[in-house]
Amino acid sequence: MKGAKAVVELLEKQKTEVLFGIPGGVLLPLYDELVGSKMRHILPRHEQCGAHMADGYARVSKRPGVCIATSGPGATNLVTGVATAFMDSSPLVAITGQVATGVLGNDAFQEADSFSLMMPITKHNFRITETRALPETMKRAFLIATTGRYGPVHIDLPMDILQQEVADEDMKKKVRVPKPRRNLSGLLDAVKLLEEAERPTILVGGGVAWSRAGPEITQLAELLTAPMVTTLMAKGSVPEDHPLVLGVCGMHGRQVANYALNNCDVLLAIGTRFSDRVTGKLSEFGVQTKVVHVDIDSSEIGKNVKGRVGLVGDAWTVVNALIAGLKERKKRANWKDRIIELKKECTCDYDLKSDPIKPQKVVHEMSVCLPDDAIVTTEVGQNQMWASHFYRCYGKRMFITSGGLGTMGFGFPAALGAKVARPESIVADIAGDGSLQMVSQEFATAVENDIPVIICLMNNGWLGMVKQWQKLFYDKRYNATNLGKSPDFVKLAEAYGAEAIRVERHSEVSDALKEGMKADVPMLLDFVVDPEEDVLPMTPPGKSSSEWIRGRCRWKGGGE
Amino acid sequence: MEVIMMLTYDQPGVMQRVMAEFTKRKINVDTIVVGPCETPERSRIVISLRDYDAAMGVIEHLRALQEVIEADMVDHRRHEGYAITLSKGGVCRITGSVEEVEALIKRSEPDKYIEVVNAI
Repeated sequence: MKGAKAVVELLEKQKTEVLFGIPGGVLLPLYDELVGSKMRHILPRHEQCGAHMADGYARVSKRPGVCIATSGPGATNLVTGVATAFMDSSPLVAITGQVATGVLGNDAFQEADSFSLMMPITKHNFRITETRALPETMKRAFLIATTGRYGPVHIDLPMDILQQEVADEDMKKKVRVPKPRRNLSGLLDAVKLLEEAERPTILVGGGVAWSRAGPEITQLAELLTAPMVTTLMAKGSVPEDHPLVLGVCGMHGRQVANYALNNCDVLLAIGTRFSDRVTGKLSEFGVQTKVVHVDIDSSEIGKNVKGRVGLVGDAWTVVNALIAGLKERKKRANWKDRIIELKKECTCDYDLKSDPIKPQKVVHEMSVCLPDDAIVTTEVGQNQMWASHFYRCYGKRMFITSGGLGTMGFGFPAALGAKVARPESIVADIAGDGSLQMVSQEFATAVENDIPVIICLMNNGWLGMVKQWQKLFYDKRYNATNLGKSPDFVKLAEAYGAEAIRVERHSEVSDALKEGMKADVPMLLDFVVDPEEDVLPMTPPGKSSSEWIRGRCRWKGGGE
Repeated sequence: MEVIMMLTYDQPGVMQRVMAEFTKRKINVDTIVVGPCETPERSRIVISLRDYDAAMGVIEHLRALQEVIEADMVDHRRHEGYAITLSKGGVCRITGSVEEVEALIKRSEPDKYIEVVNAI
């Protein structure tokens, strides 16, 4: 069997349903073998978007997304997408073509050292230089992507490997990948700390979304009568309509969530790496707090916040162990009641009835109108923070965003990937006009492959988040943030064969959304929003969360 | 001085991946010794550096690498010393802990000696 056929067969054996790829010179043998394969092939218009689509697909299906790019420029274009997946621990298998092993290192046409390029932004990567290693490597890649902490794996595949014969016995080789060691030796200490805590709080991180441990954590929180605070990556993994779920914390988080985080005495952090966007000034974070840190990746424990008690294991297992271990539970009605009371004060809906449309109003209407199994993706910037702060994620709703790397242009292709993974759900991308223009060519992919997603464009004519910082911290010296000559987005979408509506009045927002949900083609809703509206409240960078900028937020700040 | 010892697979790219973990964290290492080890298709990498906290911070990340089979800090008490001395009695080879070797050399006052400390 030829190497190319082996690749196709190995992908099929891994139950790969869909490939997001762009062919090229060195990939011709592979693409020839893909003719007639039962795997669906989707052709993005840029490799970066192929990786984002595979990423969106992976986050919904919890299985590795597969993206393919050619050598040289194909591989370098893929880099941003792979790095995005790496920072958010999303399982990808990224395959790049490479020039033949004979000319490798000779600066051949379309040669780039993609093995080295991908090394720091993948969980692991391979360069196959011997045909007999091909089957083993392919199997190993899928295993590594989904063993322990998930992550992208890259395979660099020289052209001659695709053309050479693969022996049958090599195809049959079985592969094992060591599972990360669990370390629950701190369990008793953790249980003791939690039992004795006066004001316990649970910080739910992205690991919980991957481990799908939301229901167990909710159960644990009820046992402990502890509020739950989520990071951006964990939004949606615990239901936000639960009285103990306070929402997203951090720089643009909900103030009640930050209050709980800063005033608890024992913090149970699960599947989070304490990003600087969560903690603010690291030195002041939780000075009074005892931390129990649960993570599947032992290298995360104590990396940013020195954990007093570390538990290594996946969220689901550890949480169940904690539930089993907790016996003597103190009644902490005071803390719980106080938090629930504070949460009520912090639950404003921002149904702002004024023109020009306020972005909060659009997100509010999405919270109201979208069905309970809707998937929302976001771009990066103001649109993302409005979405994280104001969108209500509960039930089977999912929230997908580029949290770690903060890649503008992530949301639209990720929405396409998500829709491919779960075609029965409504998928909406909350976009900004800056982000969307980085990936607008993907309307072609969406229309061609019949992937009807809704793009809710918050069109304010600015690179809004940078503008907001120039306004707040650089004395309004705006530079390079005005998107003066933007295209007519309605015409742009229509040019690709998508549908589009421009919405300029607050009273039309909900009708437009309903229109979008009915459409069976990709639909752009161009909400012309108020360019002066900032994302507030906000904790300025490098400050602790007691020094927040209030904006419209009426919360009394815990009344200290 | 802190010493990190790793057992890794013997293939291209391993050094780059291992050293990237140090580069990323702005850790300057003093010495790198690497070579194939007694087991076929395995290499041993021995790295020394001065900063204890840096070494402790990087070791879990090294263990997380797919190509690293083991990574450990070398216990100072385990440092083996080896010395060759020349005195009236002829050539003498001394092995043992660093302290033992040094004490013996001091006591026997040889004419010449070559010492190899921290040989692992």
